[in-house]
Amino acid sequence: MKVTVLQENLARGLGIVSRAVSPRSTLPVLANVLVASDEGRLRLSATNLELGITCWVPARIEQEGSTTVPSRTFSDLVNTLPSDQVLLSLDAKTQTLNVRGGSSTNDIKCIDAQEFPPLPVPDLDGAVQLNVADFREMIQQVAFAASTDEARPVLMGVLVQVEKDKLTMAAADGFRLSVRKAALASPAPAPLTAIVPARALVELARVASDGNEPIYMVAPKGRGQVLFRVKDVEVVSQLIDGTFPDYQQIIPRKYTSRTLVSTAALLKACKQAEIFAREGSNVARLNIKSASSDLQPSEVEISATSEETGKNETIVEATVDGSGVLIAFNVKFLREALEVIKTPNVALETSAPNAPGVVRPVGDEQFLHVIMPMHLG
Amino acid sequence: MARTILHLDLDAFFCAVEETRNPELRGRAFAVGGRPDERGVVASCSYAARQFGVRSAMPMARALHLCPGLIVVSSRHKLYSEISEQVMAKLRGLTPLVEQISIDEAFLDISDLDEAPERLARRLQAGIRDELHLPCSIGIASNKLVAKIATEVGKKAAKGDAPPFGLTIIPAGEEAAFLAPLPADMLWGVGPKTSRRLAELGIHTIGDIAKWPENELVRLFGENGRDLARHSKGQDERSIVTERETKSISQEETFARDIRDDKSLEKTLKEQSAEVSRQLRKNNLAGTTIKLKIRWPDFTTLTRQTTLPAPTDREDEIGKAAIHLMRAVRKSGQAVRLIGVGISGLGPPIRQLGLWNVESEKSRKLQEAVEELQEKYGRNIINRGR
Repeated sequence: MKVTVLQENLARGLGIVSRAVSPRSTLPVLANVLVASDEGRLRLSATNLELGITCWVPARIEQEGSTTVPSRTFSDLVNTLPSDQVLLSLDAKTQTLNVRGGSSTNDIKCIDAQEFPPLPVPDLDGAVQLNVADFREMIQQVAFAASTDEARPVLMGVLVQVEKDKLTMAAADGFRLSVRKAALASPAPAPLTAIVPARALVELARVASDGNEPIYMVAPKGRGQVLFRVKDVEVVSQLIDGTFPDYQQIIPRKYTSRTLVSTAALLKACKQAEIFAREGSNVARLNIKSASSDLQPSEVEISATSEETGKNETIVEATVDGSGVLIAFNVKFLREALEVIKTPNVALETSAPNAPGVVRPVGDEQFLHVIMPMHLG
Repeated sequence: MARTILHLDLDAFFCAVEETRNPELRGRAFAVGGRPDERGVVASCSYAARQFGVRSAMPMARALHLCPGLIVVSSRHKLYSEISEQVMAKLRGLTPLVEQISIDEAFLDISDLDEAPERLARRLQAGIRDELHLPCSIGIASNKLVAKIATEVGKKAAKGDAPPFGLTIIPAGEEAAFLAPLPADMLWGVGPKTSRRLAELGIHTIGDIAKWPENELVRLFGENGRDLARHSKGQDERSIVTERETKSISQEETFARDIRDDKSLEKTLKEQSAEVSRQLRKNNLAGTTIKLKIRWPDFTTLTRQTTLPAPTDREDEIGKAAIHLMRAVRKSGQAVRLIGVGISGLGPPIRQLGLWNVESEKSRKLQEAVEELQEKYGRNIINRGR
């Protein structure tokens, strides 16, 4: 293999795929990046067997070939080369890759490409087509609510459902639930239900930075995989096996109190409360006060106390429809939900101190977030 | 360095509080506690009632039998806690080294205070009497053990139906001589069982224990024997544990014979977890870090700990974690000399409610029901299957 590639293109490509490298695997080749000539471009791939990322970068191919290069060594080296042409030439017999850039020449010991696990070649027929910007926003609004607890693998994923021209994503960690819907530009050829690891979606959102290209998503039947392609990047992930809990039934249908507040003001109050709450059990108390009469302004008092650091109390103006309530939440959960809400006002619906609270952006029916309160003992 | 420890015990505390609220009770035979027709027991009784043989923890029905004119006053625990807090605040005004051991008892380390112990004690008694209208007894000695026994001795010496207002000071060096004539069961760690075994050996007083060689006591009573030997000579090095330092709750047991059986060890861990859980709930606390302590027959001691994602006060969660830790360090059938469970990372029992965890809420309800029964009818009435 003999290839010439621009330093910035190579560095960007390595930056994208290196997130799927698994440096501490028992399979040494998984710590490497596959580098291969591919129809006039250079293909870079990495996988940890659960998540695989491939990126194609423009290159001048003088001689076809492929190998796998230790990711860390290769990335660190390329990042220090001058922004100019980089020449890669492989000695196939010794599996040594010579990397030349500027005035430096380097020989990196590689592992034969034969040992690299094959990544699926997608058939994009029947793929669901999505707008990148929408898709990234959906991931951002949902994936954070997924669990990191390996005891319940299903909850480490995001439920992705496609039905006609409707796409829904939902994630829950047992204490909170995030649901986001979106309309597809064109109806999907077949319905789809899959549990995609939250981590894969977060990586996808990171690599799909260009807002104008569409994302294609396809989950071939019976393969247990989902594949996303955006521009010159492909992300393939194993799906999580199992049944996602029926989340519809935990979304409260009614409330006794609906509190309208400025998203920014409530978020700021939560951030302040968290400074104290994080020292203890992360609990913030929300004292939602009912209005003295209809149409009167009211307020929410947010407070947190720590044995060690002290305490905080913030009053946020609100319009409270219904009865007052004193309810406690993990303030981190509340803050994280408010951070992904784009509308200027937010509604918090509650019915009791031990019943789920629902956070909804005002004027946007597509998103909702459910948080279970904390019981104050 | 010699320390000076003051032990303070409020005299017939609940009754004294009731008297401040209802002066007509003063000097009368009355008891605070549950009603006799509800299997209530005496929580506290006035000194006049004690003349009739009425005692704390006695069934109220029996108390009424002994003292037919006894006035029964229902307990008002919230009030007692408030008053107790006022007393403790007053003590903390003297020194921060205050260890509250129950609603009406505390230790103070007064070693570094300039005032002479006797003067300080008299001033304290007068202050609590004048400001809060409560009588108290005080014992002062070079350690907690002797100070507490001094208070008891002072209280017992009082005759008649007035509060004792005892003050007993044991100068440093006279601990053993002071304890020697006292009955053996006044010593900490001597319950009815140990007391019986001691009596069989012809041991009746603390002085009798002090005369036995330590290694004999260890042979007879295990680890507890070592404490018996030291305590009987008036030796006790435990320091004052102020509230901030109460950072863990634990239970441990040294077996009379090494245990190899997995099932019995797991049963012991579950029982200990139940007790830890009981203490957590009594103190309105929950913890996050579960610690296992295990000692092999050769005395090597290991501790292993695990941190839960959320604070707990539940015996099943504590027990599960402890058993898990034990399985990780111990081979099945391996002999164990001592085993114990502890919990730290204590805080208020705030818990995150779950979207689906119906199971843990069920378990919590079960535990609450069990506890209610135990409180009403005694600990052995019902227990978790072990």
